[in-house]
Amino acid sequence: MATDDQQAARGAFLRRSLGRLARATGVALWVMVIAFGLIRIAPGDPVIALLGAEAPPAAIEKMRRDLRLDVDPATQFVEYTWGMLHGRLGTSIETRRDVADIIAESLPVTLGIIAVTLVLALAMAVPLALLIATRRSPIVPYVFRATTSVMLAIPTFFTALIGLILFGLHWRIAPIIGYEPGFPGNLRFLWLPALVICTHLVPVLSRVLHASLVQTRGEEFVETGIIRGVSRLRFAWFYLLKPSLAPSIVLLSYMVGVMIGSTVIIETIFSLPGIGRSLVGAVINRDYPLVQGIVLVFGLFVVAVSLAGDLLANWLDPRVGAA
Amino acid sequence: MNEGRIGIAGGTVMLALLLLAGAAVPLLSEFQPNELVAIPFQPPSRDYWFGTDQLGRDVFTRVFAAVYRDLGVAFLGVTIPLVLGTAIGILLSLATSRIVTALTGSLIDAINALPLLVLAIALIALFGPGLKSIVIVLAMTNWARYARIARTRASVVARMAYIEAARLQGYPWHRILLRHFVPNVSAETLAYALSDFILVIMLISGLSFLSLGAAPPTAEWGVMMSEGRPFVLNAWWMTIFPGIALCWAGIGLSFIAEGMSRRERGAGE
Repeated sequence: MATDDQQAARGAFLRRSLGRLARATGVALWVMVIAFGLIRIAPGDPVIALLGAEAPPAAIEKMRRDLRLDVDPATQFVEYTWGMLHGRLGTSIETRRDVADIIAESLPVTLGIIAVTLVLALAMAVPLALLIATRRSPIVPYVFRATTSVMLAIPTFFTALIGLILFGLHWRIAPIIGYEPGFPGNLRFLWLPALVICTHLVPVLSRVLHASLVQTRGEEFVETGIIRGVSRLRFAWFYLLKPSLAPSIVLLSYMVGVMIGSTVIIETIFSLPGIGRSLVGAVINRDYPLVQGIVLVFGLFVVAVSLAGDLLANWLDPRVGAA
Repeated sequence: MNEGRIGIAGGTVMLALLLLAGAAVPLLSEFQPNELVAIPFQPPSRDYWFGTDQLGRDVFTRVFAAVYRDLGVAFLGVTIPLVLGTAIGILLSLATSRIVTALTGSLIDAINALPLLVLAIALIALFGPGLKSIVIVLAMTNWARYARIARTRASVVARMAYIEAARLQGYPWHRILLRHFVPNVSAETLAYALSDFILVIMLISGLSFLSLGAAPPTAEWGVMMSEGRPFVLNAWWMTIFPGIALCWAGIGLSFIAEGMSRRERGAGE
C-alpha cells in the first residue's frame, strides 16, 4: 500500500508543479504584453513627445520607422515577440546600442546586489528568528514586532543616505562611488547597499520564519526530539528549522521582486552601474526601447524566481502546495 | 488585544501631531516655504530650527509645508486603486467563464509580479514626471493588488449562507452586491490599504527623490532630500529633517496598521 501512496503523492506533486508552470507561462505572456504595450498607451504621440512638436516631419517619420510604430499593432507584436525569442530587444534611442547588450552588461551588478543581500539577510534573519522563537519571555516578541514595524516604515533611500554619511563619509570604511566588476572585488562596493536593503528584508523574513517556527514548535515530533535528547544544534536544524523553511522560501522568492524595486533607488544613490540605474536614466532620456527591455527582463525574472520558489517549497514541504 | 490598542493609539497620536504641525507651521511661521530668508547652508539655530538650505530657505517651514502635499497625494494614490480594485475584484469573482477567470487572473498576477517602483518609473516615462502622474500611474497599476485580495474574499463570501438567504428572499442583485459583498470584501481591502499607505508614501517621495515626481522648488520631502544629497556631509540638516518627517509618518501608519491586525487576530481567536 505504501508504494501506492507514494505514487499518488508523486502524481499530486507533478500535477501541482505543472499547474504552477502553466500559470507562470500565462503571467509571463502578460508581462510581455505589458512591456510591449508601454509605448502604445502613451497619451498623445510618443514620437512627438520624444522629438518635440517642432521637429521636422522627416525626422518624425524616421523615428516612427525606427521604433516600428508605422505598421499595425498585430504585426508589431509578432515582430516584437519574434525578436525577443532571438534575444533582440531593439536599439536604444539615446546610445544607439543594442538594448540586450546594455542589459547584459548591467544585469550582473544588480544580480550581485541581490545575491549579497540574500546571503546577509539569511545570515541575520535565521539566527534572529531562532533566538526569539526559543525564548519564552513574553516581552521579547513584543519588542521584536515593534522594532520590525519601525524598520519597515523607514524608506531604504533614507537608510542609504544615512549609511553613506556614516560609513562612507564619516568613518570612510565604504567607497561612496565607483564599482569593480568580478567577485570578490565587487564585494567592497556591494556590502553597504546590500546591508541597506537588508533593513527591509530581515524584518519581513525573520517575522515569517518566526511565525512558522512557533507553529512548528507546537507539533508532536518536536516533543519527540526533546524527549530523545538530541543535541541542541541537531534539534534546531532537523526539528525546528527544516520543517519551517517552506513559507520563508516562498516569501523570499516573492521578495526578490521587492528587492529589484529597491535596487533601482539604491543603485542610483551608490552610483552602481546596474539595471536599476539604467532604468532611471532611460526614463529621464525618454529612451522607450530601453525602458521596455528593462521592464520585460525584470518582469520575466520575477516570474521565473517565484516559480522556482513555489516549486522548491512544494518539494520541501508538500503541505504548502496542498493548502 | 492590549498591544493592538497601544499601537493604534500611539500611531494615531504620531499622525495627529504631524497633521497638526503641517497645518499650524505654515500659518504661524514668519517665512514662506519658497522665500529666501537667510544665508544658505546655515546649521540649525534658534532662528532657523532646522537650518537653511542651498538657496537660503527655511528648512523647518519647508518640512511642514510638505505634510499635506505628501500625505494628500498618498491618500489619493491609495483610495483610487482601493475603490477600483475592490470593484473589479468583486465583479471578477462573479464571472463564470473559465477563460475570463484565467485571463484576468494572470493579468492581475503579471501586474503584481512587476515591481511597483519599476512599473511606476516606466509609466512615468510616458506621462512625464509630476505628482499628478504618480496618482495616474498608481491608479493604473496598484488596483491589481486590491483586485486580487477582493476577488479571493468575494468568492468566499459568495458561498456564505447569508448570500443564499438574500437571494432566496428575492432581493435584487445590486442590493446583494452593495449590502453584502461590498462591506465584507472592503473590510479586507481596507486593512491592506493601511499598510499600502506606507508603501505609497515611500513611492511618492522615492520617485521625487529620483527627480521623477514633484519638481523643485516644490516643498516635498523626496525633493528636499534629493536637493540636500550633494551637500550631505556639510549640510546634513537639509536631508535628515525631511527624512525624519517621512519616517515619522511611516512609523505612525505602521503602528496603526500593526495594531489593527493584532486586534483583528485577537478578536478572531
